[in-house]
Amino acid sequence: MEIFEWIRLIVGGALLLCGLIIFLIELYGIFHFRFVLNRMHAAAMGDTLGISVSLVGLMIFCGLNFTTLKMMLIVIFLWFASPVSSHLLARLEVTTNEKLKSQCQIYEDIADLEKEIEEEKKKEVGGEKI
Amino acid sequence: MSEGLSTLDKIYQGMYITVLIILAVMLFACLIRAVRGPRVADRIVAVNMMGTMVMVMIAILSLLLKEGFLIDICLIYALVSFLAVTVISKVYIGVYEEKRYQSVEKAEEINGEGDKQHGNI
Repeated sequence: MEIFEWIRLIVGGALLLCGLIIFLIELYGIFHFRFVLNRMHAAAMGDTLGISVSLVGLMIFCGLNFTTLKMMLIVIFLWFASPVSSHLLARLEVTTNEKLKSQCQIYEDIADLEKEIEEEKKKEVGGEKI
Repeated sequence: MSEGLSTLDKIYQGMYITVLIILAVMLFACLIRAVRGPRVADRIVAVNMMGTMVMVMIAILSLLLKEGFLIDICLIYALVSFLAVTVISKVYIGVYEEKRYQSVEKAEEINGEGDKQHGNI
């Protein structure tokens, strides 16, 4: 039965390492991007994927007991909470930033965006025909 | 201290401590972003990220010390961190809109009744 313990160590360690790498990518994104809404995109990755991968690794270490269930609960709670807080932060930025137009493109009406997307699609189809 | 441990336990302890040290270094880098961030939203994003890293640290600590109750603390940390972000962003939006409303009122008083159309903005 010794071999199972070693397999558990390797699988859990690999998952924990994956979580650390995802946190590292998140940190790089936070320092690399220049605007808050871009930074938020990088930061939301660690809230859901990073913590879930590293906690799954810790669950494998822990075995099957009540602690594992609580770790699962943390992951599920963060899946629900992280989009809500990201949405609120984006709304905070859009409401309080007065120079938003100089930093990103804004569509006053959603119909304008849809029209532009359709035009791009038409262009792509035309390019294929040529 | 670790004489009675098998090799497997030693490997586990070494791995936990290494991961804790790496996470602590990343936490400090995150703190730099929170201090330098030019706008309020930058700081809140960085603090939210720090909260996530601290959650992983507490979970590792509970396995290292073999204390099950630390996971409960981790769960409560997640709840409080989410509540903090929600409340801070709501309060900040409220304060900003109140300030803007007051400045519009002042502008109306200065302009007087001459151009009401501009005051309505």
